[in-house]
Amino acid sequence: MMRLGWWLIRAQLLARRSATALSMLAIALGVALGYAIHLINDAALADFSRAMKAVQGEPDVVIAPRDGAGHIPLALVDQLSRDAAVAVLAPVIETRVRIGDTPLLARLIGLDPFSAALLMPTLLPDQAADAMGSLLDGAVFASPALAEKVGADATLMRGAARWQARIGGELAAVPAGEKLLVADIAWVQAHFGPRDGVGEIRIRLSPGMPLAAWRAAWAPRLPAGIELRAAEDNQARVSNISRAYRVNLNVLAMVALLTGAFLVFATQLTAVAQRSTQFALLGVLGLPPRLRLLQVLVEGLAIGVPGSLLGLLLGCGLAVGFTRVAGGDLGGGFFSPATPVIVPQLLPTAGFFALGCLASLLGALYPAWLNRIQPLAQALKTGFAQGQARGGGHARGRDALLILALAVGALALARVPAIADLPLGGYAAIALLLMLGIVCAPLATRALFGAVARARLPAPLKIAVQNILQAPLMAQVAASGLIVSFALTVSMVTMVASFRTALDQWLDAVLPAPLYMRSKAVPLPAELLADLARADSPFQRVERMAASSFSLDPQRPTVALLVREIDRRDPGAQLPFTGAVADVAPGGIPVWISEAMQQVHGIAVGQRLRLPLLGREIEVTVSGVWRDYARQFGAVVMTADDYLALGGRFEATDLALWPRPGQEAAAQTWLRGAATRHGVEATASGEIRELSLSIFDKSFAITHALEAAAMLIGLFGLAVTLAASVGLRARELAMLAALGFDRAMLGRAVVFEGALVTCVGLALGLAAGIAVGAILTHVVNPQAFHWRMPLAVPWPPLLAVAAATLAAGMLASGIAARRATRLPAAQVLASAQ
Amino acid sequence: MLSVAGLGKRYPGAARPLFSELRFTVGAGEIVALVGESGVGKSTLLNCVAGLEPADAGTILIGPDAVDMARLDEAAAAALRASRIGFVFQAFHVLPTLDVAQNIAVPLLLNGIDAAEHPRHIEELLARVGLAGFGPRWPASLSGGELQRVAIARALVHRPSLILADEPTGNLDPRTADEVLSLLLERVRACHAGALIVTHSRHVAQACDRILALDPEGLR
Repeated sequence: MMRLGWWLIRAQLLARRSATALSMLAIALGVALGYAIHLINDAALADFSRAMKAVQGEPDVVIAPRDGAGHIPLALVDQLSRDAAVAVLAPVIETRVRIGDTPLLARLIGLDPFSAALLMPTLLPDQAADAMGSLLDGAVFASPALAEKVGADATLMRGAARWQARIGGELAAVPAGEKLLVADIAWVQAHFGPRDGVGEIRIRLSPGMPLAAWRAAWAPRLPAGIELRAAEDNQARVSNISRAYRVNLNVLAMVALLTGAFLVFATQLTAVAQRSTQFALLGVLGLPPRLRLLQVLVEGLAIGVPGSLLGLLLGCGLAVGFTRVAGGDLGGGFFSPATPVIVPQLLPTAGFFALGCLASLLGALYPAWLNRIQPLAQALKTGFAQGQARGGGHARGRDALLILALAVGALALARVPAIADLPLGGYAAIALLLMLGIVCAPLATRALFGAVARARLPAPLKIAVQNILQAPLMAQVAASGLIVSFALTVSMVTMVASFRTALDQWLDAVLPAPLYMRSKAVPLPAELLADLARADSPFQRVERMAASSFSLDPQRPTVALLVREIDRRDPGAQLPFTGAVADVAPGGIPVWISEAMQQVHGIAVGQRLRLPLLGREIEVTVSGVWRDYARQFGAVVMTADDYLALGGRFEATDLALWPRPGQEAAAQTWLRGAATRHGVEATASGEIRELSLSIFDKSFAITHALEAAAMLIGLFGLAVTLAASVGLRARELAMLAALGFDRAMLGRAVVFEGALVTCVGLALGLAAGIAVGAILTHVVNPQAFHWRMPLAVPWPPLLAVAAATLAAGMLASGIAARRATRLPAAQVLASAQ
Repeated sequence: MLSVAGLGKRYPGAARPLFSELRFTVGAGEIVALVGESGVGKSTLLNCVAGLEPADAGTILIGPDAVDMARLDEAAAAALRASRIGFVFQAFHVLPTLDVAQNIAVPLLLNGIDAAEHPRHIEELLARVGLAGFGPRWPASLSGGELQRVAIARALVHRPSLILADEPTGNLDPRTADEVLSLLLERVRACHAGALIVTHSRHVAQACDRILALDPEGLR
């Protein structure tokens, strides 16, 4: 029996080489994209974790202030050091500094060399070379990435503070790409503070001390502005930063695999249809029904196994090639652009292989079932029974019920909140919408063409409409594949266009000034600010902002704190609010939160919050929600006056600048000069807009690649199915030719039929695509990335793709018609006797 | 080899049964012709006997151990067809993607017999149907008469107890039809199988051992 199965598979693969190769390629493409995305993200994440461990060491616990302005008081350090359960306690001060008057920024880590030797040895210089003594004497050691750029001495600057430091040597063990400076903690403290504390404490517990118990004992004793993070909290935070982005990319890759499954479906269905007489014969001769089913499934696997293997190879090559050219960041901006090492792991590799095989099995399932239930005697006499697709009133009622159930299910799932921060309900709703599009095909066909069929039409058109109305299975299959691929393309184009339009409008709102200056998370030099304040500066207005961050949850990414010079009576003049702004009771401190902050932490306008600021918890009132596409994990805006009143230091990191009228050119020249002198960035608002949009386009480049793959696979499916559908009707066409149709009339009938099938697929694909686009825009984006935006359907590109698809469908039908009518009608009819 | 009793069939929605209370037998080595006008139910009767269509009533006992085809489910019916029945069709139905030897080997494979162990058996059978040396040839290169000879070889290769033939000469010219019919009758008798041949041809019917005529009133 195995031998017979192998004969049939070999014959099938040889007889349908092109369709089989295309199906294999489609599966390979889906697997390759998914696998490459997985490999790149996995390598980038591992790289990120390795770099973090190299800098942080591997402490059991980190005790750190919850906001950038806070610190750990020395008294707490003293208490912790006396705890017998603490085996190693390493105090650290970390700050960002500018090196000289250059744009070169570095993390300066002040550490205690003795505890660091136990906990963070990679951050210490080579001990044999007497470097430790040099470290204690105030020398600064640089990571390899910095060592080649700094000389024997370097001026380290932060705001008004400066340190003329001596470079003692290189930190050879720090990973490449990390820009790090390491010094003794006392020297860092003396130059950059804090005077009465340390930045954080890294702790290794004594062997046998349970972390949970120690944590439970210490957490309540910590001051309000200080949190305790376990090692797994850090890992969770690193993973959470990019998780939604990674999951979304993988879902997109699975979409490519789904369209591949559709192509297997189309190929296998046509294969079953074309061989229905052969399968019927085998059934008559005694091939059991389950083996008729199994045979088609195995043929599906015969496509899936080599397709998946090819996909794994392609995916691996793609990942290696991509990381070499573009680094480890796929466009999300979460990972370093350095080249990570791609290391395939057995389990995920086996998983993607299995997914490819599963997709091809799924694609072959329905054709296999049809093959199983074909009435043998009828199939032996008349070939493939397409009657399954025809439905009477009962079937129509069942279809209508199914449509209703799918629509209600999709609506309900779209309202399900995020599960584990992932839009799982949204993804499921998208799957239901795609199914809805397919299920609608027969009803839509009847509704669209029922009336047309009753009209007086030229013979070729009448035949085409009649064929569609009878809903031959192959035509429905062609429409179904097109519905899925076009819907996915429409949805992604719609989502990206909506996002881009919203981003464009948002940039208008948040870039009111003509010029901007910023210094990444490091306070701008005091001299620069003093120069700007002089009466002869070419600027009539300078608005300052200080950016830092705080932690609301040790397992989640930090939230940005933006202290701005805002008029609290009219914050709408400077922030793009999404709704009403609430008044705050006298004496209260208003803050305005971003949509992401509202979404992630479930905060409402008018709500009172206790934020960890300035080393303590401060009660504030949420006065409004504003749109922010720059900070995915949330941002809080507070007025500079309130921040100063709370005792904070307003050290500007960003400036918005309005030149005096008539001095625009002079202002630009002044700014560029100052930027070069002080090593900060100066840009015109137009440049920021251009850069933002180009970053946006880069982020979605991979989405466009997946769209193109889905559409291409859909077109292959359409061509294969239309060609097979026409091929199956060669006898019918020959009979029409015998009745008096000439070749041109037959060609017109077939092309018109192909056009009608394509139109049905495009119309339903468009409707389903816009619905899926709405879910991507209003459910998936807010839940996964916390961005909200209005839906904008980009009609011109969608109609262009639709027109190109229609032309491709008509071309495929035309070619199929020419092939089907190549032989003389008499010969075809004679061979069918 | 075949014993049919009380066989009845009515299509859903039909005013009257297609046939009912049919009773006949086909003995070992006996060749029976089934004749009748178009639409009277000859092919349906053959399909019921082969287990391809369910009968509404009656028994269909096949083989020396009298297995009742009418009582079998789809899979068991397929197994019984594979082991006990050989088929010859009007349209030949030779698999175009297998060569002649592979086509003939199909029933052996369906019975779990490795055809590779029986090349001589297949070659001998080919020689007996006048196609010696045709094993590696492809069906597309054969004439109608040659294709029907391949089908006869395939029907007999696994030594079935019953041959069912539906218009086996219907697609052949008179001279080829004569040759094929003679070959079929000779091989069936040589194998000591029973045969039920549906035909419109008086000539074919007269060559058989017995004629059953089916009309709306039943078998005569």
